[in-house]
Amino acid sequence: MSNALKNLLYKMADDALVIGHRNSEWTGIGPMLEEDLAFSSMAQDKIGHAQALYSILNTLFGEADPDTLAFKRQEKDLKSCQFVELPIGEYDFSIVRQFLFDHAELLRYDMLTQSSFQPLAQLAKKVKGEIKYHVMHGDTFVKQLGNGSEESKARMQSALNYAWPYALGIFEKDETDAELISEGVFAGEDELKTRWLQKVTPVIEAAGLKVPATDETKIVYGGRKGFHSEYLKPMLEEMTEVTRTDIDAEW
Amino acid sequence: MYGSTNLSEEDAKRMNTTVEDPEKLEAFESRIARGEKIEPQDWMPVEYRKQLIRMIEQHAHSEIVGALPEGTWITRAPNFRRKLALIAKVQDEIGHGQLLYSAAETLGKTREQMLNDLINGKSKYSNVFNYPAYTWADIAVIGFLVDGAAIVNQVINSKGSYGPYCRALERICYEESFHLKQGHDNVVYLATGTKHQRAILQDAINRWYRPLLHFFGPTDKQSAHSEKLMKWKIKLASNDDMRNQFLDQYVPKIWELDITFPDPNLRKNNDGIWEFSDPDWDEFKRVINGDGPCNAERIAVRKFAEEAGRWVRQALINPSEKYQVPLA
Amino acid sequence: MSSLDPRVNRLDFKKITDGETHTNSHLITWEVFHQDKRGKQVIHVGIVHAPTPDMALILAKEQYARRGKTTNLWVTKTSDVYTFATEDEDIFETTPEKHFRDPAYYKVRDRIEKFQKQQKQTV
Repeated sequence: MSNALKNLLYKMADDALVIGHRNSEWTGIGPMLEEDLAFSSMAQDKIGHAQALYSILNTLFGEADPDTLAFKRQEKDLKSCQFVELPIGEYDFSIVRQFLFDHAELLRYDMLTQSSFQPLAQLAKKVKGEIKYHVMHGDTFVKQLGNGSEESKARMQSALNYAWPYALGIFEKDETDAELISEGVFAGEDELKTRWLQKVTPVIEAAGLKVPATDETKIVYGGRKGFHSEYLKPMLEEMTEVTRTDIDAEW
Repeated sequence: MYGSTNLSEEDAKRMNTTVEDPEKLEAFESRIARGEKIEPQDWMPVEYRKQLIRMIEQHAHSEIVGALPEGTWITRAPNFRRKLALIAKVQDEIGHGQLLYSAAETLGKTREQMLNDLINGKSKYSNVFNYPAYTWADIAVIGFLVDGAAIVNQVINSKGSYGPYCRALERICYEESFHLKQGHDNVVYLATGTKHQRAILQDAINRWYRPLLHFFGPTDKQSAHSEKLMKWKIKLASNDDMRNQFLDQYVPKIWELDITFPDPNLRKNNDGIWEFSDPDWDEFKRVINGDGPCNAERIAVRKFAEEAGRWVRQALINPSEKYQVPLA
Repeated sequence: MSSLDPRVNRLDFKKITDGETHTNSHLITWEVFHQDKRGKQVIHVGIVHAPTPDMALILAKEQYARRGKTTNLWVTKTSDVYTFATEDEDIFETTPEKHFRDPAYYKVRDRIEKFQKQQKQTV
């Protein structure tokens, strides 16, 4: 059981760390000042979630401290999906990713409030409000930009088409899924994906956009097993640039 | 992070020649003399409005341009604590920009016009942001000393006469105290850390020393005076006074860490006045006129942000809604 | 351009054209009101630029409620707020002098004490 739990915690933490890191790249160069602030707060929230999840791994499973887990692991050890690793691109992609990813996060944490694993259930209850705001933010922007100008509509549709096979990769299953379900820890990736489709579909439609067709063969899997895109390694190297200058130092 | 109250020669001349309705001017000036604030809908002299817009706008630009040197290290902050603090701090600078542009907007210049003027070079921002952040230690020094200098300036400006600017500054000063604390924390970790950490800190201090002395603008002897700016409570302290206050508060906090400033003449005299070597005011002028190490990059990045975000803003604008100057 | 900021090096500057970055069209502004605690007044704190009330609220949340406690935010279009003209401020001038509206105006203790003293003397 403890391996299945650890696996779940790692993939959630790594997802949050990587997308938080990516989204923080917009801080200071966003499309309008108010949105710069909002996007930055959401990035901070995600990094905070990663820290909280690594802390559970540290205190209850004897793994290393959160800083070591976040800043000193190898690329192949990270369990984040490839969706979150992709560069920030232009704002259309970043906002579409935020929207798609956060719907999955909200549902995942919502399901986890019922988890038999208490520390995770407690964390889920604590951060649900934050993620609810992320979803409100994503929905509002997707609807406004989908229904905005011709340019914004075209951009949003093409960003959505590009993001879709990656987004479905969030729900990549592994051998621990069944165990988590039977132990009442988490209702599973398939269930999450079904609920997610039910949530994002009406918003995409209300935005005047088309839900991309799902081609099962094109879904981008691999991240959960440590196979990553070309973008994760440089990101990790960048993250550790300061610490590598003096590994004994306390920063 | 900085609202300069320094006048150009041309502005100073015009300020003393523009004629206003004497009765209204008298009422306006006596209101300020009584310590009351001016609100956006009040009558105000043309030059008061103009100088305030110039100053608040410049302050706002300094916030969003100031976000760039610090942003340099967002993706490389070394651990959770520093990473969250740095993102939150840079976010605050953008938030301060938003508050300040809003305050300036109440005087009748739109945010869009102000951003255009930043990018086309018509309006300035603080010189200190035209210097690079080479290492992580630069982030510590900016967070502690540049923000420290900014607080000296902002606390003084918050006692000024224009209501919306004072309100924005009150909130800004509150948030800056977080910046200062996290900056000091960062400096102390480096100063009490390994040899390498101390070395990069010392190096950063050496590089920031002059820009910090330049921060408050030319010496009182060199700068254009305006009695009116003082009378109207747009300017509340002289450049030299602010600089002295800054040195008094912060130099000892660096010295106590056994870190030095690259100036053998830096010392406090018995009369409480700090003495220092001439910080090369020609360099200050060169940088303010565009020839600093990072001027071109700062403007290019800001321009990129504005242009890359244009489709977002355009898509949000509803042409049937008419813009009205905000109230407060 | 080669920057010290890896984020900047990833930006595609080729996409940038010359000319003004902002056209002469603006988002409207919304006045934002903040309540920090149930039972307290809702207070004006500033403005945001936004196209709709939904987005104004979403954006106001991170500018005006990212620190401390908040129970709710209100937004209203700037153009929907009505005020007196500032030159009419004189309509409020004598208000502070209307002492008959203030509780402190009604002081009877002296009178009671005087009365009680008199009563004692008569007894």
